[in-house]
Amino acid sequence: MPPKFLVLLFSLGVALSVPTVFAQDAAAPVSATETAVGSAQSQASEQLNVARNELTRLTDLMQAEKSDDNRLSELKVDVDATAKKIIAISIATRPRLDEIKARLAELGDPPAENAPPEAEIVRQERERLIAERGEINALTGDAENLSIQATRLSNAITEIRRALFSNTLLQHTDINPDVLVNAGKALAIEGQALSRSLTSWVSFVWKYKRLSVLSALFLSLCAALLFLSGSYRVFSPLIRRDVKDPEPGYITRLSVAFWSTMIPTTAAGAFVLSSYFFLQSFNVLRADIAPIIAITLGVSVALLFVVTLANAVLAPGEGNWRLVRVSDVGARRLMVAIFAMTAVNSFDYLLGGISEAMGSPVVLTVVKSLFASVIIGLILMTLALIKPMVPAGAPLDGPGRPWPRFMSVLFVLTGGALIAAALAGYVGLARFIATQIVVTSAIMVTAYIGILTGKAVAKQNAFADTVVGRFLEKRYGMGQVSLDQSGLAAGLGIYALVILIFIPLILLQWGFKVADIQAGAYRLFTEIKIGSITISLVGIFAGILLFTIGFFMTRWFQRWLDGSVMARSRVDAGVRNSIKTGIGYLGVGLAGLVGISAAGLDLSSLALVAGALSLGVGFGLQNIVSNFVSGLILLVERPFKVGDWVVTGTTEGFVKRISVRATEIETFQHQSIMVPNSLFINASVGNWTHRNKLGRSDIPVVVGYDTAPRRVMDLLLEIAEAHPLVLRNPSPSAVFSAFGEATMTFELRVYVADIVNGGGVRNDLRLAIYERFRAEGIGSPFPKDVVEAVALEPVPEEPASLEVGLPAPEDAKPGATARRPRRVGVGTGGEPS
Amino acid sequence: MKTASGAFLLVLLAIAPAGAATVTNKDADTAILVVVEGESRMEIAVDAGGSESICPAGCFLTTPSGDRIGLQGDENVEIINGSAVVK
Repeated sequence: MPPKFLVLLFSLGVALSVPTVFAQDAAAPVSATETAVGSAQSQASEQLNVARNELTRLTDLMQAEKSDDNRLSELKVDVDATAKKIIAISIATRPRLDEIKARLAELGDPPAENAPPEAEIVRQERERLIAERGEINALTGDAENLSIQATRLSNAITEIRRALFSNTLLQHTDINPDVLVNAGKALAIEGQALSRSLTSWVSFVWKYKRLSVLSALFLSLCAALLFLSGSYRVFSPLIRRDVKDPEPGYITRLSVAFWSTMIPTTAAGAFVLSSYFFLQSFNVLRADIAPIIAITLGVSVALLFVVTLANAVLAPGEGNWRLVRVSDVGARRLMVAIFAMTAVNSFDYLLGGISEAMGSPVVLTVVKSLFASVIIGLILMTLALIKPMVPAGAPLDGPGRPWPRFMSVLFVLTGGALIAAALAGYVGLARFIATQIVVTSAIMVTAYIGILTGKAVAKQNAFADTVVGRFLEKRYGMGQVSLDQSGLAAGLGIYALVILIFIPLILLQWGFKVADIQAGAYRLFTEIKIGSITISLVGIFAGILLFTIGFFMTRWFQRWLDGSVMARSRVDAGVRNSIKTGIGYLGVGLAGLVGISAAGLDLSSLALVAGALSLGVGFGLQNIVSNFVSGLILLVERPFKVGDWVVTGTTEGFVKRISVRATEIETFQHQSIMVPNSLFINASVGNWTHRNKLGRSDIPVVVGYDTAPRRVMDLLLEIAEAHPLVLRNPSPSAVFSAFGEATMTFELRVYVADIVNGGGVRNDLRLAIYERFRAEGIGSPFPKDVVEAVALEPVPEEPASLEVGLPAPEDAKPGATARRPRRVGVGTGGEPS
Repeated sequence: MKTASGAFLLVLLAIAPAGAATVTNKDADTAILVVVEGESRMEIAVDAGGSESICPAGCFLTTPSGDRIGLQGDENVEIINGSAVVK
């Protein structure tokens, strides 16, 4: 029923603004001092008395409002709240009872008959405590009885509501000429009464409240216009049909249909709600007029809703905007039929409301509804005669074909059933069905269109083609991916909107009351019971939210510490990384704990999970856990840090990242290798840059026997000392390392400050050696006819990455030199590993 | 950190919150408790050392010692020497 929508909106607002009274309020702390204790108990008993009076009041109210379903549903909420309060009151007495019990246990049992008597003071105290204990027990017994009474009352209300519902639906009235005559008489009386009260009210308002009415209307018009113009400005392309667009796309049609229904209806709702509110608060409405005004306003909004929706879906004037494939003529006729049905149904409710407000006999309402149901039934049956279907490919303005068989049968049967039910006397049922046909199907169609819109918007790349998408692209320069993601978000948002708005509306249609829906929604969010387990959605959301906040706080703190504090205090990069990662783990762990406790989850059951996990660790997760722990050890012990040049097993390269499970190593060819952390802990790891980057680089040199070895060594040293990157201390050295069959092998050992530069330095040195030896005539004594005799020819390079700096094997390339007896060469050993 | 978030969600799902009040009898004898829940007043026997789940939505409990206590529905109650200790 439409006014309920208004009531829903309004009461939602009220419910949000009124702070909920929690049960804890009653659980006032009980002080240990005697006076405070006495007052706590008297307070509890006072509270119980209040609750008792409240229950009596509610019982009386229930008796009085036996026929008002709406009021009953609110009463039930109150009764349930009182029942909760009663339990809370008795819980508040528990600490004192525990104290008494503890003290009594200290005092011990009274002495037996033949035992020596105890001190008077002890006896008195025991008696006093026992009396108090009895008092508390009596109090709790009272609470117990009251609680039973409250539950009974609550159940009784449910029972009455159930009976009320089936009575309204299945109430039977005999339809005979007498009834019609009575109704006619009642109608005449009602008309007089209505015109009397209306004229008296209008003249009263005009004389005394003119300003109030005008300002109320003005204010609410302002509110509605503000909303309407604002939403038109924002959503304009979404609401208006673009006349120039000959072939509007499916999404465009859907969204125009959805929003052009939603926005005007919401604006009208806002107008109606605010004008009613202002009229009420300016005391313009009289008790007899208020319900009439309310139902008039509500019915108009409902009428507007159905008509705009039908217009949006059928688009009788513009065939290219039609959402369903029906002919032009068919659309126009359908539109008329829908309008007629809605108008009749609205009128029925309006007249029913007026009759109720005027206190007319029920028979009048019954007869009105009888006529309304019969008319709606007839319209439904005529719907079957419309020929709206258009075969695929045919133009929309051509002649239509009849409905498919099942549709026309459905129309005729429903219409017939309505008329039959009404004529048989089940007018309530007929009215209910007629309303469902008009309003519920309108709501469902809107919801369906909304869901279709959401689905279409959420489709890949669909959002970019919409007006909003194009606007976002132009205004904020969003890329394809982010547009796509916002499309998904928009689709989900539309789903949420549809569910939030339309499910309560449909529930209201089906006879649920606002209070029921509120209580249901509250329960849905705070406690979902599955067996003996209670899950609180709000709690879980709060937990996730807190975890997210904690997570981002950790991130922010990490960044701040790393970027602002540690970077400036010149902390070593490795330490920085370790601290950063450690703080990350710690923060996430803390956030997780906070989140779990906020979700209301019992941490003690975490022990159970941990137990199960440890079993899992034993079997399957062993490796992962060992890697994780190894990662922690790596962070603390720091055998290497990010940026170090490490060698483990067959992997060599720079450390890029030390993470939970594995360490990322980038080889010299820029291949990333993930080495499990446990490998670093369990195997030996070479680190070229552990304490410092100083390192030795060796260059083997092979020379023929015709040169004096001392001369070669002097030359080598000279060359080394001339290089700017070669350290003076430790000084470079040249050694005569091996005799070959036809050659001598020397080795030039130089120290460089940064071993990472070793390759370049070696390269420079080799070039210098070649040029110097050439100039000195060393190594070119062999005959020119030997093809290979290129003096000082370097042995072909190994891949640059592998030839850095490890000491050359003692007999560097003996084979090569043996096969080329007369060659003088400069070669490198430098094979790692 | 994705792993951490995943693990967190998993833990959230894994730890089901406790629903009803649990009564554990620590005495050597069976304890007969009177539980008033909703409209009904019923007697529940808890074996020595056994425990029982009662009243998810609040109730009143009368212990063997004759004391009456109100329960909110999420407490753990131990029966020691015939009287209730709420934890």
